[in-house]
Amino acid sequence: MASTLVLLAIGLPWLGALLVWAVRDQRPALQHALAVGFSLAAGVAALLLIPQAGTATVVDLPVGGSFGNFTFVADGLGVFLTAVATVVGSLAVIFSVDYMHGSEQLGRYYALVLFFIGAMVGLVLTSNMLLMFAFWEITALCSYALISFYNDDPKAVAGGIKALIITQFGGVGLLFGAVLLYAYTGSYDIHQFLQNPAAMPGNILGLMAFGFLAAAAAKSAQFPFQTWLPDAMEAPSPISALIHAATMVNAGVYLLARFYPAFSPVPGWTTAVMVVGMLSALMAAVMALVASDLKRTLAYSTVSQLGYMVYAVGAGGIFASQFHLFSHSIFKALLFLAAGAVIHGVGTRDMHQMGGLGKHMPLVRTVFVIGALALAGIPVLNGFWSKELVLEAGEHGGPMWIWAVMVFVAGLTALYTFRMVWMVFFGQMRGKLHVHDAGKAMKTAMVPLALASLVSWLLAGPFSAMLERTLPAHALHALSTGEMMMEVISNPFTLVALAAVVLGLAAWWWREKLAGLAQALQGLGRAAQNSFGLEDINRGIVRGTQQGAEALRVTQTGLLNWNVVGILIGLAVILVILVMGA
Amino acid sequence: MNTGIPAIVFIAVLGLLGAGLYALLISRHLIKVVVALQILVKGAMLGLVLAGRASGQIETGQALALTVIVADTIVAVVGLALAVQIRRHFNTLDITKLTTLRR
Amino acid sequence: MPASALTWLIALPLAVSPLVYLLGRLSVLKGALVNSARWLALLFLLACGVPLFQAGQAYLATLQPIDWTVGMVTMRLDGISLLLAATVWVVGTLVVFYSWRYMEHETGEEKYYALLIIMMGSMIGLGCARDIFNMWVWYEAMAISSFMLVCFYRQQPSALEAGFKYLVQSAVGSVLILLGIILVFAETGATDLVLIAEMAKFASPVPMLAAGALFIIGFGVKAALVPLHTWLPDAHSQAPSGISAMLSGVVIETALVAILRTTGMLSSISMTWGVLLLGFGAVNMLLGNLMALRQTQVKRLLAFSSLAHVGYMLIGFGVALAFQQASSAAGGFFHLITHALMKSLAFLCAGALMYYLYQARGSHRPLMVDDLAGVSKRYPLVALAFSIAVLGLGGLPPLAGFMSKWQIFVGGAQTQNPWVILLVVFAGLNSVLSLGYYAPLVNRMYRLKPAQVVESGVKPSWQLELPLVIMAAAVVVLGFMPHLMSWLTGPAAASLLASIAR
Repeated sequence: MASTLVLLAIGLPWLGALLVWAVRDQRPALQHALAVGFSLAAGVAALLLIPQAGTATVVDLPVGGSFGNFTFVADGLGVFLTAVATVVGSLAVIFSVDYMHGSEQLGRYYALVLFFIGAMVGLVLTSNMLLMFAFWEITALCSYALISFYNDDPKAVAGGIKALIITQFGGVGLLFGAVLLYAYTGSYDIHQFLQNPAAMPGNILGLMAFGFLAAAAAKSAQFPFQTWLPDAMEAPSPISALIHAATMVNAGVYLLARFYPAFSPVPGWTTAVMVVGMLSALMAAVMALVASDLKRTLAYSTVSQLGYMVYAVGAGGIFASQFHLFSHSIFKALLFLAAGAVIHGVGTRDMHQMGGLGKHMPLVRTVFVIGALALAGIPVLNGFWSKELVLEAGEHGGPMWIWAVMVFVAGLTALYTFRMVWMVFFGQMRGKLHVHDAGKAMKTAMVPLALASLVSWLLAGPFSAMLERTLPAHALHALSTGEMMMEVISNPFTLVALAAVVLGLAAWWWREKLAGLAQALQGLGRAAQNSFGLEDINRGIVRGTQQGAEALRVTQTGLLNWNVVGILIGLAVILVILVMGA
Repeated sequence: MNTGIPAIVFIAVLGLLGAGLYALLISRHLIKVVVALQILVKGAMLGLVLAGRASGQIETGQALALTVIVADTIVAVVGLALAVQIRRHFNTLDITKLTTLRR
Repeated sequence: MPASALTWLIALPLAVSPLVYLLGRLSVLKGALVNSARWLALLFLLACGVPLFQAGQAYLATLQPIDWTVGMVTMRLDGISLLLAATVWVVGTLVVFYSWRYMEHETGEEKYYALLIIMMGSMIGLGCARDIFNMWVWYEAMAISSFMLVCFYRQQPSALEAGFKYLVQSAVGSVLILLGIILVFAETGATDLVLIAEMAKFASPVPMLAAGALFIIGFGVKAALVPLHTWLPDAHSQAPSGISAMLSGVVIETALVAILRTTGMLSSISMTWGVLLLGFGAVNMLLGNLMALRQTQVKRLLAFSSLAHVGYMLIGFGVALAFQQASSAAGGFFHLITHALMKSLAFLCAGALMYYLYQARGSHRPLMVDDLAGVSKRYPLVALAFSIAVLGLGGLPPLAGFMSKWQIFVGGAQTQNPWVILLVVFAGLNSVLSLGYYAPLVNRMYRLKPAQVVESGVKPSWQLELPLVIMAAAVVVLGFMPHLMSWLTGPAAASLLASIAR
């Protein structure tokens, strides 16, 4: 049963991708219907898979040789992310029915989205390192292709290629770790490795751990690789919601959480993970504070929230990180979809031109505010509980100064969230925009997410029980929902964090009075707008490579004599090496 | 057996090879390049015969050299044919002018 | 029975090539509408599949090399020859079918097909040669036929230029090989690979070392090792696209096989050969990728990317030679197959677009990267196949290139040698760099606003696109099921290791 469901969750979206592509772009209605149908079917398969979660290998395709056996294990972590990927995926597809209405090349769009959903499911369910890397790369490929979906826009093309190159660059760390795993243990099986990480020599394990950290940081847009995510916002909004908020960017957190038991003894690794999380959370929150593009603000906020999850993993709070991941996928997908509805409705992403849109699109305003409150960590929404759990894990498992920074960032989060909500939905409209409300399919996709933002935290108990049962290597201990609530409420530090949130709120409320402070911090704001110099480093590397490549072209002289000289040089070099070697 | 002959032949082989390579590096004329290639191959052919003698398999060495003549002649013919065509289209036989393909 | 299959496999292409030329010439003289050379070439090539199949089956049943002796010369079919012959046959047959339409406007089609068959025959022969001098003869035959094919468009000045440079560099390489043969022959008195390998242990090392260097450089010219590669971008971009596909897909790989045979023969002299190949591999990847990054002509870009891919194969083979690592050799051979498929596919796609946009109107302009804008709308199949080819070359799953690169990387890591592992990481980074020029190609093709030349292109033709579809499907299937080629790469790797394990 479980094996069928696993194959269905991967296979259905892929089959749908083929069919959508095969019906060609002349029949858009059929394409919409197929995409919605197949993504919903995959979602159902994933939900049915949840009760089947276990530790056994459910699918085993023998391939052999240096490819290992293609195996899949439906454990708690995998099943949970499968459900997120397929459910949010199907909501994004439903949203697309309105959002992409009348677009050209729909087949390419839907095929890539469905292909992505299947690959994401494969990524979290497989227990073969080679397959994991393969799925990891497929998700990167889909992400790139969808960011650049509007190929005629040079910004979209550049954003897509940037995302591809940066995530692939980090992916080399994963590749490195994966081939080392096989070289030293002779197997790709992740679960075998987690049960006995001592099979790897200590220093090699250390290399592998930091390789994986680099891969995770690149995929989850963490410091110092975060610059690709804001540029990825050229993608259609449902894609931002699905890939760049709810699923693919979580793959890095998933990777760290999955391998935490093996890597946590590596000296310095947990601290490195926490520092990466902290830096990303802090820098991105400051950038979100000064951004003027609605989707970019959300992207910065995603980086910042992913920073929380990475921090939680580093502090040993696996459940807290996954629980925050769960809450975040829901409210951030909601925010992106609502932002998509706004952008679709007004035709710009510049928040300076918006304002007062709440009157024209009340439902969108309501759901956006719900998402924003969850993001800001206001009780009793899901973001509140999970963020408090993250902070609590950090308080127990990490140094206090990092915890203090993270609490400060919680305040910043509240501040930029209210700034964003205010600029978009309240006050007076600043630009001359023609507004039209969201369509039916859009609303259908947003309402369930809004409801889930309100109540998803009630699932904490069963979720943690499932993780405890199916992740023996992680040594988790389950909490019921009531215990979780008690733990959060009775912890005095919760009040500190809440106070930070309130301070953030207050800072927005009395923003006029704080104008002097804002003036003083202008330099910081400018640095934030330039991504604290990371963007310059990126550009420098790209320019250096391009110039180097251009300079190298003179070696192709086109002169026959020089070509012959090349042969003789080659011969001379080899002879010298042989003489020295002999 | 006269050991003097291989020494002379050996020097001749080296001389032909050196001359051929040198010519290849400095000639700017298409026909001269083809001639330089011919000189190189002639050195190699002589070397084959010499190697046959050194290893005591004179017949084999000679047979191989004969085969090389055939292959080498074809290369020369194709090279010269190309030179003719190039003269027709580029109006020159100077290889420094033959640089439409670069970078 | 197995020996006779081998006889047919080697003799058939050589025998039919003149026939194709003569009958094709006759049909031109008679003024026939369709040049009969096309049909004959395809038919004969399909017929070649029969002895290939029989010989392959006989070999795989026992995994014992099949020998066939004529006079002084012995031909031997082992895992490596079988793999090479199969790859040449598959790519060559598809190219011939593709050329029906692609070459129909050209004069001298019969020459084209006859030369193509000779070239394929000599590659199969080279793979089967057990005699070092015999190998040189096959190599020359392959070289000469490829010169003429590169300058097939003899009205094109740039094609002539490319051909002449190719000829000179290749001829220098072949003289160096001859010098190597002379040294080995003088030292051992033998030309048989197996015999020399046995005698090499007792020979004086200096001439044998020099011979090895000469073999690597001599064959290396054809295999496009940097810095001997300068002919390659010219020749590959100026040849007719089918020939570019053959050159990039199988000719340079054939030269690699020759390097493997000769260095394997001399493996008892020195262990440095593998390390040398690794060094060339690293340089090839870096230079190939950097040079490709700024190219503006599609075929030239693809030609430079071939340099990089030779680098990956060299890493697989270098590790195999230096560390006796079978999985690495299998990875190298697997990449040989997948690269043959992907790169030929890429060149054939570029060719199809050239045909639609220029050649069908009698123009021989090169296909620029800018011309790709929006081709997906008019030529969706070509755009999809081209995307599959270049993304596969860039090593993205679920395409074949990912799996073969992976196998090479794993083989390297299995040595547990820090330098090799570092090289693997370097190779991985190079793969990322290569996406810097592959991905923009794909983006361009899927633009909505087509380039002007695209709007005036002719209707797509199924004869050009059928081979593309077959190859693209193969690239995808191998990406999902990499073990489908193990029956071919496994024995080839075993043969390679058997030749060096002494």
